[in-house]
Amino acid sequence: MSSESDHKHNAACLELFAKLSEYLDQELEADTCEKIEQHLKECPPCRNCLQTLKRTVELCKAMGTKPVPSELSRRLRSMLEQLR
Amino acid sequence: MHAKAESNKSRKNRKIDQDTALIEAINEGDHDLFAEIVKRYERPLYNFGLKMCGEQRDAEDIVQETFLNVFRYLKDFRFETKFKNWLYRIATSICIKKRRKSKFAPDHEFSLEDFIPRDPAAEADQLPKWAALPIDTVLSEELYNKLEEAILELPENYRLVLVLRDMEGFSTAETAQILNLTPANVKVRLHRARLFLREKLKGYYHEQ
Ligand SMILES: [Zn+2]
Repeated sequence: MSSESDHKHNAACLELFAKLSEYLDQELEADTCEKIEQHLKECPPCRNCLQTLKRTVELCKAMGTKPVPSELSRRLRSMLEQLR
Repeated sequence: MHAKAESNKSRKNRKIDQDTALIEAINEGDHDLFAEIVKRYERPLYNFGLKMCGEQRDAEDIVQETFLNVFRYLKDFRFETKFKNWLYRIATSICIKKRRKSKFAPDHEFSLEDFIPRDPAAEADQLPKWAALPIDTVLSEELYNKLEEAILELPENYRLVLVLRDMEGFSTAETAQILNLTPANVKVRLHRARLFLREKLKGYYHEQ
């Protein structure tokens, strides 16, 4: 992908594309990581691809939680009462 | 194997965590402590149900049914996993059962090819704002809703993995155990689920 005009996917980009999540999750061997980092230095499309995927994961993590509705709390309390 | 050796062995393999003392006390007869389990897990379970079903009412049912099963089977819990993992295993199977009965999207397998950028040159442009700006600036209420919608569009087998890994914070190995999958399978599904959401986010910002 280093040439932007004729954008054929090259094998290195495709190989990296398959491993982006494992790379983000630090689940790859050290030498594979090094190879990936070397490629990222030279390949802006892959770099952007990684960044947008990373942001996608960050957004999921940032969604947080909603409070328990009072109706549910009431149901759970009455369930606990019955267990006594 | 002698009974004693056996019990030593299982004691050695016990997973100790922040719930162990609580569960032991309950199993020794202090049933009032069920309330403490509810207190610890009602909110996480409710949100898990909500992300899996998208409906408040269904999420509430999932929480209640999960706790009922926990109370029924807790005496058989042998600390072979963390209590929390066991709890989510129960919640997951209740979710799956519930969704089978509902109208939601049929299961569908993604392939990696589905997500390979068709126009790599476009990816080479400047990093889009939604990925470049600080996350607090980006995560508006509208985006929150879009993301929630996109998660619900994921086929269930991908959604489960995404929610457990990226929202509930389980590791690959724990997720594999909860869902009865291999770790390799968890990784494949997680990657495709994330790529699906990435495409949805790209589309959302493109429209604006
Ligand atoms: Zn590349």
